[in-house]
Amino acid sequence: MDVELIINGEEKTASIPPETTLLKLLREEFYLTGAKTGCDVGDCGACTVLVDGEAVNSCLMLAGQLQGRSVETIEGLANLEDFHPLQKNFEDLGSLQCGFCGPGMILSAKQLLEENPEPTKQEIQDAIAGNLCRCTGYTKIVEAVADAAKEMREEP
Amino acid sequence: MVDKVKVKERESTLEELREVNDDLRLPSVPEKVSFPIDVVTPEARTQTPAVGQRASRPDGRMHGLGQTKYIDDMSFPGMIYAKIKRAGVAKARIKKIDLSEAEKMPGVMATLIGSEIPVNSFGPSYQDQPIIADKLIYHAGDPVAAVAATTEQLAADALEKIKIEYEQLEPIFDPIEAMKESAPEVHPGQGNIYSSKIIQKGDVDKGFKDSYRTYENTFSTQMVEHVPMEPHASIAEWDANGRVIIHSSLGRITLGRADIARTLDMPINRIRVVATVVGGNFGGKNEITTEPILALLSRKTGRPVKGIYTREDEFMSSTTRHPFIMDYKTGVSEEGKIISRKVRLVCDGGAYCSWSETTLGKACILSAGPYNIENLYVEAYAVYTNKTMTGAMRGFGAPQVCFAYESHMDDIARDLDIDPLQIRRINAFHEGSASPTGQVLQSVVVKDSLDVAADRFGWEEWQK
Repeated sequence: MDVELIINGEEKTASIPPETTLLKLLREEFYLTGAKTGCDVGDCGACTVLVDGEAVNSCLMLAGQLQGRSVETIEGLANLEDFHPLQKNFEDLGSLQCGFCGPGMILSAKQLLEENPEPTKQEIQDAIAGNLCRCTGYTKIVEAVADAAKEMREEP
Repeated sequence: MVDKVKVKERESTLEELREVNDDLRLPSVPEKVSFPIDVVTPEARTQTPAVGQRASRPDGRMHGLGQTKYIDDMSFPGMIYAKIKRAGVAKARIKKIDLSEAEKMPGVMATLIGSEIPVNSFGPSYQDQPIIADKLIYHAGDPVAAVAATTEQLAADALEKIKIEYEQLEPIFDPIEAMKESAPEVHPGQGNIYSSKIIQKGDVDKGFKDSYRTYENTFSTQMVEHVPMEPHASIAEWDANGRVIIHSSLGRITLGRADIARTLDMPINRIRVVATVVGGNFGGKNEITTEPILALLSRKTGRPVKGIYTREDEFMSSTTRHPFIMDYKTGVSEEGKIISRKVRLVCDGGAYCSWSETTLGKACILSAGPYNIENLYVEAYAVYTNKTMTGAMRGFGAPQVCFAYESHMDDIARDLDIDPLQIRRINAFHEGSASPTGQVLQSVVVKDSLDVAADRFGWEEWQK
């Protein structure tokens, strides 16, 4: 089957078997390997991407469901001028260790900050509840999201 | 004579052909990245001493940009995919393996069973683990066959077509039961206790007699899976010199290289292991898993072969933290000074030794805690059971015994009505204390650390 969608602002088409998940479509058709295969059953959140602005587990979504919709992946966050404030703060605070959960974590946080520019610690924790991390203990991740939120409020 | 009309026709056809959808001429390559790939070296890595400098990670930027390449993010031309069939029974004899249906499936390029592996055993202490089980199944996560196919999905589908006949045998799951003479042997011909250690210091029986009170309790801890976010992953291919190149998430590549050389029956200089950024190890990626299988499937097909564990493989088949059963008996004076302690540790090793022997040694030495004890007797056993094997994991035997001796200390403090902090101060190591095995300790700051910590989090306030 053919699917037409927008990935990181660009129109794309792909011919794929109907059982293809969004995760496989991104990784294997478009080489966007930022979204990771952690559990492949929607538990770990390593495959998180934004579909029409909403964080989803791309391993649970079929590519066919994406017809005409817009997908944002970690590769679409930075541009030649600058990184996203989330990416900068995650780097500065050493919020990622092995890094495998990073792309999903950052995208979940991005959705939060777009809806709620001034989140409390609890709201940040809730927003990343679907993204597991085994290295950091989350402390630095929550701090980085809070710092990024502050930065984005000051320089919108 | 040249036929001018025909030439003209041909030219127009070529012209038309050239005009056909130019997109088809674009090779399928990833888009160029939209940001500069430069990596800053953190200050802590450019200055000596590093203490006091910012210590961000050198790979932190690429992690956040999603540009770090883990094994699963790599691919090589013509690469195919391997999947592993697991036993699903805890103990059995393999009677028959029928691969014919799987081999007939479209896209399946090769299969592999245990008898095809040159040396089908490995392990860091004892070589008691098969790469693919060929005669006996020791636990439900044992691999019994492998399939390589053109896509991951086809390989997974082919596993369903493999037919295996088993003769079920009686398994044993409880380590205490497994220690009995009458218990069925996990590895036939070898007792279930495969490692034991004893530490003896002073006279525990006399110590108990001299004690004001004695306390006894049993503590147990559970099996824990590392759950690295990145499952075990490798890609194997062969070069023109007859060397196998293995990109692997292996953490201890030199040890792994020796094991791969041994199992493939090849000199070690023909094994090239390329380590990459690992998506979480925690001790679980210290040993080889599927590397020899992928190497052999690659040799059969002449193709690079990628093998990624599913999360199910990870839970069933990779190493875990040892469950311990710990019996403690402690005699104390009226003031709470420990006079005598007797400990028995039973470490449930699962189906294979892996790092159990070394884990047991560390647990043994640390089992008395950071306390001065004149009379001490520790005995420890590592036991085979028909369960997922246990191996290295953060702490290596230390967290289990720490849970036991500190819980035990709290019980004693409560009964003697002594402040839990005070009972630890009374007994804690000081400068020049000797460890249970006689090592004289230096730079000992246990009491200072306890005092500072108690002060910082308001221990006295909390006690009220």
